[in-house]
Amino acid sequence: MGGYLSSRLFYYIAAFAVALTFNFLLPRLMPGDPFEIMFAASQGKIQPAQLEVLKEQFGFVSGPWHVQFWEYIKGIFSGDLGPSLIYYPTPVTEIIAGSMPWTLLLAGVSSFISITVGLSLGIFAAYHRGGKLDSIASPGLTLLGAFPQMVSAMLILFLFGLHLDWLPISYGYDPDIDAGWTLEFFLSVASHAALPLLTLVISGLGGWLFLMRNSMINTLGEDYITMGKAKGLSGRRVMVQYAARNAILPVVTAVALNIGFLVAGLLIIEMIFNYPGVGNMMLTAVSGRDYPLLQGLLLTIVGCVLVANFLADLAYLWLDPRLRKS
Amino acid sequence: MSEQSVKQSQPLMDIRGLSVEYLVGDRRLRAVDNVSFTINKGETVGLAGESGCGKSTLAFALTKLQKPPALIVEGEVIFDGKDVLAFDEEELRRFRWKETSVVFQSAMNCLNPVISINQQICDVLRVHNPAMNRGELQDRARELLRIVGIHPDRLNQYPHQFSGGMRQRAVLAISLALKPQLIIMDEPTTALDVVVEREIMDQLSELKEQFGFSILLISHDLSLMGEITDRIAVMYAGKLVEIAPTEDVLFRPQHPYTKGLVNSFPDLLGEKKELTGIAGNPMNLFNPPAGCYFEERCPESTEQCKKSDPTLITLNSQHKAKCHLLS
Repeated sequence: MGGYLSSRLFYYIAAFAVALTFNFLLPRLMPGDPFEIMFAASQGKIQPAQLEVLKEQFGFVSGPWHVQFWEYIKGIFSGDLGPSLIYYPTPVTEIIAGSMPWTLLLAGVSSFISITVGLSLGIFAAYHRGGKLDSIASPGLTLLGAFPQMVSAMLILFLFGLHLDWLPISYGYDPDIDAGWTLEFFLSVASHAALPLLTLVISGLGGWLFLMRNSMINTLGEDYITMGKAKGLSGRRVMVQYAARNAILPVVTAVALNIGFLVAGLLIIEMIFNYPGVGNMMLTAVSGRDYPLLQGLLLTIVGCVLVANFLADLAYLWLDPRLRKS
Repeated sequence: MSEQSVKQSQPLMDIRGLSVEYLVGDRRLRAVDNVSFTINKGETVGLAGESGCGKSTLAFALTKLQKPPALIVEGEVIFDGKDVLAFDEEELRRFRWKETSVVFQSAMNCLNPVISINQQICDVLRVHNPAMNRGELQDRARELLRIVGIHPDRLNQYPHQFSGGMRQRAVLAISLALKPQLIIMDEPTTALDVVVEREIMDQLSELKEQFGFSILLISHDLSLMGEITDRIAVMYAGKLVEIAPTEDVLFRPQHPYTKGLVNSFPDLLGEKKELTGIAGNPMNLFNPPAGCYFEERCPESTEQCKKSDPTLITLNSQHKAKCHLLS
């Protein structure tokens, strides 16, 4: 057990180190120094001396690369990612801390719903293969999931947000309402999250259903399923404890492999619904050439993906006793 | 041993005219064709035949465990006066394992890999005896492992921590959990080496002495059967071709197929002789001939064999065979 976990942990640390290095190198290798842009944009209001001070403040110290790298690493581990250019002088960490909860809300709720519902449907569809649920839900949800997320987001936005005008299509909550632990605020947040969540759930359900269904169908052919039935166990116990319990293992692996794609989809959805999360902030950072903010966001996303992967590993370990053997 | 138990025979499971078909596209393949025989209380019946002859299909059908596209098309399985094949889902669920447990062909694969042996013993105990409390379940589970020669301390381990032989013992323990009257064993030792096979078979004989259950042992290994069965039924191409007390089958086989089967195995104690085997391949069940199914491979076939399929002929009270040459 320890061996498996520590090797995984080592892998994630290495991956994070690589991400850190690229995050350091990319803006320095890219043509178009952000400070030159600022300098040009200020039209002479910034003196070259001031520019040097600014550079230092952003962590772009002069000196050989290894010195710069050391400064960069020190900055990151002390939680200092420098100030944002667009929202100067607000620190990048503060901006990320403000947009992260919204993204986590979308990611958490949509994953929870689409995974639990999708897997349950997959289990039932496979167990009663060819039945009503299987012949309606399986192709139907697959069709919905086959739309590119961008297209389904636009359709949903147009239909429910504009045409029917049922739900808000923008922002995290009604700006006229004070943020706080009130029911009004909570309802506002829920209604604003509804359409992005719907998009994410609809585009995710079919995938989970099919993944689980196919894995279940493979598992249902195993001898231990027949033995479970021969033992006179209830249909539900055979389905859950014998079939689904085994069929979920490859699905967990698939989850771990897909976390990166899920995040990418999430970012697009946030941009379309103008949702105040990390993805939308990234769009702002890119269009404003806010390198420090962009770097900070990328690093945070990489960190989140790695943590999610690690959690998937833990889940696998918990689900499969064969891995627990030291 | 065989003579005594056959004499005081009291039927436990009576299989009457059982036929199972596989639906392949729009064609039907008859894998078990009108098979009838009886398993008596305390008796060990062997079911022999080459691969694909329908032995396992028959075994699965006895407790309605056949999987689609297999379909029971006719027949009855009378157990304790009731037709198992007429049971509804709930009756079937209660009947399974309580009265008839099954030891599957691949002990390696028939234990659920993600739950512990303890859970796999307790779930079957609990579902059939809802009144048992945690302590009683644990005691019984430990006792079952002890019975089959596994140290009870290994109760909470998982199948992958067991060797092949131990897994087969664990399956045996589970099959004994509810003290069933009949255990159906589908090639229980195929995956094991001969030493482990010997140990398990010896243990099985002891347990049978102790608990008095009946066994339906499915195998293609006649020498294994010779040691523990009272009677042997031989199947060919889905049909029962001969059934007789073990000694008769091994030393006085009547059906040409049984003769071929017996001659395919070396005799360790007897003099050296050439093994003849059976020429040809198993027939294609999609195009069954009008005559005897074995005619094509039969060294003794006659014109009549081509024309009509023989019926099962009673040679004496214990011995039946399905061959024109015997009529």
